[in-house]
Order: sequence, then structure tokens, then C-alpha cells
Amino acid sequence: MEEHAERIVKEAVKQGAKDAVAEITVDRSYQVRFARNQPVIVNQWRRSVGSVFLAVGKHLVAGEITNFDRIPETIANLLKAAKATPENPDYAGLAKGPFKYARPSVDRKVLAIDDGSDYVEAAVNGAVEEGAKECAGSFWRYNEDHYLETSNGASGRDQRAGLYLSIRALVSLESSGHGVACATKLSEFDPDRAGHKAGRIAALAKNPKGGTPGKYDIVFDPLILGSLIDQVGGRASAYTVMAGLSPFLKKLGKTVAAPSVTIADDATTDSLGRCRFDAEGVPIRRKAIVQNGVLKTYLHNTSTAKKFKTRSTGNAGIIAPEPFVLSLKPGDWTRDELFNEVKDGLWLTNTWYTRYQSYVTGDFSTIPRDGIFRIKKGEVVEAWKDVRLTDNLINVWKSVKGISKKPEQVTWWGEVGVPTFAPYALASKIGITKSAM
Amino acid sequence: MSEVDLVDFAVDYAQRKGAAYAEARYEQHASEAFVLKNGVVDVLEYGDDAGIGVRVLAGGSLGFSCTNTLTRAEVRAVVDDAVRTAKATKRKDPIKFVPEPAVVSNWSVPEARKLQDVPAEDKIEEFQHIDRELMDMKYKMPARMFISTNLRIVKYFGNSEGSRIRSYSPRVRMHYYLTLMKGNDAEQCYRNYGWSGGWEAMREWNTLENVLEEARTCQNGLEHGVKSPEGRMDLVVGPPVAGIMAHESCGHPTEADRVLGREASQAGKSFITPQSLGQRVGSDVVTVVDDPTVEHAIAYYLYDDEGVRARRRYLYKAGIINEFLQNRETAAATKSRSNGASRATNYDREAIVRMANTFVEPGDWTPEEMISEVKRGVYMKTYMEWNIDDKRFNGKYVGREAYLIEDGEVQGPVRKTIVELTTPMVWGSVDACGNDLDIMEAGFCGKSDPGQALDACLGGPTMRLRNVYLR
Repeated sequence: MEEHAERIVKEAVKQGAKDAVAEITVDRSYQVRFARNQPVIVNQWRRSVGSVFLAVGKHLVAGEITNFDRIPETIANLLKAAKATPENPDYAGLAKGPFKYARPSVDRKVLAIDDGSDYVEAAVNGAVEEGAKECAGSFWRYNEDHYLETSNGASGRDQRAGLYLSIRALVSLESSGHGVACATKLSEFDPDRAGHKAGRIAALAKNPKGGTPGKYDIVFDPLILGSLIDQVGGRASAYTVMAGLSPFLKKLGKTVAAPSVTIADDATTDSLGRCRFDAEGVPIRRKAIVQNGVLKTYLHNTSTAKKFKTRSTGNAGIIAPEPFVLSLKPGDWTRDELFNEVKDGLWLTNTWYTRYQSYVTGDFSTIPRDGIFRIKKGEVVEAWKDVRLTDNLINVWKSVKGISKKPEQVTWWGEVGVPTFAPYALASKIGITKSAM
Repeated sequence: MSEVDLVDFAVDYAQRKGAAYAEARYEQHASEAFVLKNGVVDVLEYGDDAGIGVRVLAGGSLGFSCTNTLTRAEVRAVVDDAVRTAKATKRKDPIKFVPEPAVVSNWSVPEARKLQDVPAEDKIEEFQHIDRELMDMKYKMPARMFISTNLRIVKYFGNSEGSRIRSYSPRVRMHYYLTLMKGNDAEQCYRNYGWSGGWEAMREWNTLENVLEEARTCQNGLEHGVKSPEGRMDLVVGPPVAGIMAHESCGHPTEADRVLGREASQAGKSFITPQSLGQRVGSDVVTVVDDPTVEHAIAYYLYDDEGVRARRRYLYKAGIINEFLQNRETAAATKSRSNGASRATNYDREAIVRMANTFVEPGDWTPEEMISEVKRGVYMKTYMEWNIDDKRFNGKYVGREAYLIEDGEVQGPVRKTIVELTTPMVWGSVDACGNDLDIMEAGFCGKSDPGQALDACLGGPTMRLRNVYLR
């Protein structure tokens, strides 16, 4: 596949492209979906796709090549299309290579897995032991090879492999819990623990009562905190800022969170999102997006960096920069200390459907799901249901009072799209609303 | 080998390998897309993705595998994968499909202006023209983003029961965000239009005038909008709001796979159970349907991805939970029939139960007649923020363009009307449906794992809700 990437770039330059990028992705992933405590389908992928980006001056075009026997014809068609598009004055070229990358390494034991049923069973059994009646979710063995070549000297190969299990355990329709397990090494993969966590929350969430609207101190479990971190990462892309889809416009150097909050993007971390280069071939590096509560940087590629008079953060997307692996810096609280700090508040364990009324102000709401618990004097006193977190993204982060010491790697369908290291956190006086009957 | 030969080979080979049922779906997706952001075309993007997905039922379990390498050897490997993993799966109760007749068909969607005949530069110019007209309005509009997507889908489906269905489905999509500001105050809007057919979509959507009107109403809200009133009152919602309510509070909860728990981990479950059929969920003027056969609606199709003939599904009928969206697997589990609701986003995903074009059936009221009978209330024409819980019981819709109604007359704009109601409260409060059905509003419906964001029409007429709590 390396030769295909090389051929695409050479052919593009030969035919008149000023800049060219080719990335071939070979996907050999495997998944077991399960529901009602048993597998419902096994999915497998055998796909090889070439993504191509070409610039003729500042006329830009992107395309796909799946038939590698027709590279010259496809390039010719794309270049013809590029010439017909208006110039993009914001385009500032590609990062200048060559670059050096760390050698890819994956756990061969992960790649050897071709049957996920034991892991599903371990998770389901864990949840059932805690009292769950019904479990659903998925087990993934990811396996992707990436080959990148640019006309500006970048050339690299990356192999990305890992294991993931997501389980939702239900005691009843309104009493549920969620757990996830993420690992790049088989020895560190713990679906049983994810199952137990999901089951434990589900059992604790039995007989929930309708919640009461108001302002509450809230302990965020890693899964829901991951969603809030994900929002910061996504809204910090320079592209979303320019598109009016971020509350971080004109906030660089300003306080956007409590002093204890440092949120970083770092795909060099051993995680499901680990990668070695961005879409321009720039080596991945760590950068704090928010440091001690202050917005330090947007996420940039070469073009957005030039627009903002800075340098690339190694987060290309050729057009739209993006986060790869996010983390919230751990604090110095234990989980129990966070709970004990709450005199009268809530513990939220998961959420979904985060939507904005105004991206530029950050006014949003999100719907907690799975266990929602009332805490009084540090103890869970009852389970709730049917409430909504309605607040402002920056206000939520400014309201953080404490962060636990131990982060967990989480990622979850839709809400935590980027693998994220999230501890527990406590925030004060967060808005809770509910439906009128 | 041609795609037809590969599909035939896959189905035949899967049976020889021991599959009780096999289907193969070839799909070719040719796309053209661009983003016009603040007057600048970011990049023109072309997609050309083609491949085959094979799903088998073997040993009472399902296996799926796919490839985009269109050779006999690769398809053989995919079938081997699917059959092997299905047979290796241990289930307590075998998965069954309801029987369906074999179908041989060839259907397509007409294009008045064929997508491939309209040069990309002409399409871009149409949006640049809209953008220039917006700028000529002299509003403070720091961010404008238009996303234009054309997709031409060629599909060939075959199964071990003898079905062979070919189709061609061109689709056009336009969605956009506008940000208007006055001092530090901001008003944002998001609209999403879909069309099955050709580039005539831009004319059908009345695109230029609708975008300019959207900007005018944003500016009007910024200049004259007041806080929306709080308390119990009447609410008249426009077609986009009725459409999102139909999608979220009727379409999703009546998906049979959700009802049965197959999507419990991700998209969630439903407040509706198999025993809910026949129970009341709304007033008797509420009929919500899902109909793939509505011509030119974004999710138009005649046969689903299991080869089942599509038809109109009456999900809520006169306020009663009437029917679930079904595929062959869920129909067998609920002792019912498939109603042709099985769809996948592409060859590389399993087909599952999905909505298509979901809308509230129109009544015979004009919007003016509905408003004239409202003593005090809000006329909420569009929305911005919305969400709903995973059992589809607690929904929230926040107004974008909305007006106060007093003594039967529309007054000035009100801002951020919050409608946070339970599903039975929404449908139980409806006392009138308009005669102005709109099926142009589109959405990206999310479901499944890995995610399958699928074209969906969110349609409806103007609709009146009596005595609901707003804030």
C-alpha cells in the first residue's frame, strides 16, 4: 500500500498539482454486537481506501481512490475539477517535511483475536453478577494500517490497533448503567470490570423517581465528563471557531475554566487514538488547549495556523483541524473526597444528545442517561430519572471545584468520539431542568 | 466480474458454505460536496466508494462482512468470514427472518436536472450568489457556512430467495448555519433541506428566498425579540418543529429493534413495548406516518435493503400506537410482517430498522385559522437546540423563530421559547393539524454501531398544541 500512496503523489505532481497528499487506510476491524445478553451479529471489514488531497495553486480538491489500477485517470479528473473551483485564499500549503516518526508498535495478541465472544461473555456475566437483567453493547478489535505520503516530503506508516468494549446493563427500562473498557494491549483489557461497573450502577439506579429542577453540585463520572471534555476539544478546532460554531472565539488567553482545569490533546499517549502524524504528516505532539483554566490555543493545521498567525499544532485535517486524544489533567482529590464534598447534589454517570442553542455563547443542554443519583452529605440517597443538564459550556468548566487523581480512558458512541482520559470531577451549581407533565 | 456476477456469486457461494439465508448488496456512492464558509469554498470533495456487503444467517446467527476490492477472490473471503463468524456465534435462541416473496425489480428516481450534468462551478456559483445577497443585507453576520452534498447511489441487491433488485437514487442535500450578532448578542440558525432527484432541488427549496428570510428573522429577533413568556398557554409550531417531533417522539420509539432492545446500548430503548400497540399516545387528530414512497422526499425508496417492498407505515393513527417499523428479524420476533424499514448507509454496514420520511399527516386547517383561535400563546416556526432521552419520553425543542400570539394575532418576536415536554404531553395536546405539509426538511438520523447517519425527512404541517407549559 505504501507504493500506492507514493504513486498517487508522484502522479499528481507530474500532472501539475502544486501540493498533493495521499493517505491509504487499510481497515481489518472486527466487531461483535450484543443485546439481550447474547450476540446479535458479527461484523467484519476488509476495506482499503485512498484519500487524496490536491492543490493547484489555491484551487483545492479532495477525492477517494479505491481502484488503484486507475490512479492516473482519477488524478486527471480531480485536477480538472480543482481548476474549476474558486481559489481558497485561506489555503497556506502543507507542512514541510521530511519528518521523523516513532516506529509503530501494536500488540500482536490483539491482532490475533478473531473471536470476541469470550470478552462479551465476561462483560455480560460481570453485569449480571451485580444484578443486571439485560445487557447490550459491542466488542471491537480495531486494526488499521495508514500510509501517508505528501508532496512536501512527509512519508510515514502507522498501525493502529486496540480493543474496546461498551456495555449497557439494565435492571429495567429506567434503571441502567454503562461501562467501557479500552486498551491497546490484551493484558490491559478488562471487559469484566466494565460489566461490573455497568451492572453496579444499574442495580443502584433501581426505582428512580422524577428529579426536581434547580441548581445542583454535580459529581461527573468519567463517561459524562468525557463528553464535556470532547465538547472542549471539538469546539477548540480553529475551523469550528471560524465557522461560528464555538464559544471560544476571541477567548485565547482568557479564562474559560476553573484554575484546576487543564485539558490537553496528546495522541502520543498509549490509547485507542494513538497516532504518529496528522493529515499533513506533522508529527503528533502534546499541547494544552486549556491550561490552568486559560484557553491557550486552538487546534491548527498549516492553513488555519497561518490565518491565526501561529504554527500548526499537528492537528490537521487538511481543511478542518481536529483533536485526536484528549485528557483532563488529574487533580488531587480521591473519588470519595469529591462525593463527601457534596452536601446536596447529584452524581451523573453518562449522557447523550448534547445540543447547542447558541454555539457562540455555549448555551447547551444534554440528557443524562443511565444512573442519575441524588447525593446528600456525600452518600447516594436515591436514584433519579427524567432530568436534563441545561447550562453553558464555559460556565460548567468554570464551576469545577475538584478533580480526582485517577483518570480512565473512555470513548463512547456519539458523545465521546475522541478517546479521552477522564477522571471524576465535581462542579458546583449546574442547571438541571425537566419536562413539564 | 461485474457487480451483478459478484453479488450472484456471493449469494450462491454462501449457500454452498452452509448459510440458511444469504444476501449481498453492492453499492456505489458517487458524491460531490463542498463547503462555502464565510464566502470561501474550502475544498471541492469527490467521493467514489463502491463495494459489497454480505450478510448471512447460519446456525441461527448473523454474520456480516464487506469489501471494496471487487474481485471473486475477495468476495469469496468475505463470504467465508461471514459464514464462519455466524456459525461460531453461540446464541440461546436462533435468529429468524419472516418469509418474504422473491422480487425482481429495477427502480430509479427521476432527475429533472441530472446532477452530473450540472458543472460543479455552477453549483458553487449558486451558493456564492446566495452568500453575496446575504452580505448585501448589511447585517452583522460574522459566520456563514453552507454545506452542499450530492450523492448518486447505484445499488444491486440479491438474496438466496431469488430477489434481485437494482436501483439508482440521486440525492441532494443542503444545510447551513448563519450567525448574526448585535453587540454581544447572537442569534444562530441551522436549516437542513433534502431532495431525492436532481439539481432542481435548489428551485424546489426556493433556496435563495428562504435563506434570506431566515437571516431577516434572525435580525428581527436580535432587534425586537423579547423573552418568551412562561407558563401554560397554547403553542402553534411550524412544519420543521412538527417534523422533528414526529421523528424523535414517534419514529424512533416505534422502531421495533429499539422496542426489542437490540439498540439498547447506543441509540437506546423505547417507552413503547410490544404490548403498547393499541394504546393511546396522542389526541385523535394525531396521525404520524413514515413513508419511503413519497416522491422526492430525501429518503425515497421502493424496496428496502432486505428486498422488501416499501409502503406507508401508520405509526400513530388517530392518537393510537398503531404499528412498528419492522425488518425481517424484528417481524419474526414480534410475530408480525416486515414493512420494508430495513436500511443501511452503505455496503459496509448491516441493514437495520430505520425511519425514512416521517411526518405528521396534514389536516384541513390553515395556519391563520389555528392562530386566530389562540387567546395567548407562542407561534414557534423553527427551532435550534433539541434533544430527547434514550427512551424517547422527554423531549426538548428550543425556538429559533418564534412570535407571541395575543387575541388571535401574531405579535412581535420572542426568543428561545423552551418546549420541554413528555411525548404523551406533546401528542396529547395537539388539537389541530394544518394543510401545509412540508417534506423538504431533512435530518441526519443517527443509529447503530458503528454509527449510520442516514438521510431522513422530518416533515409536517403547522400544528397547534393546547395549554402546554412553556418557558
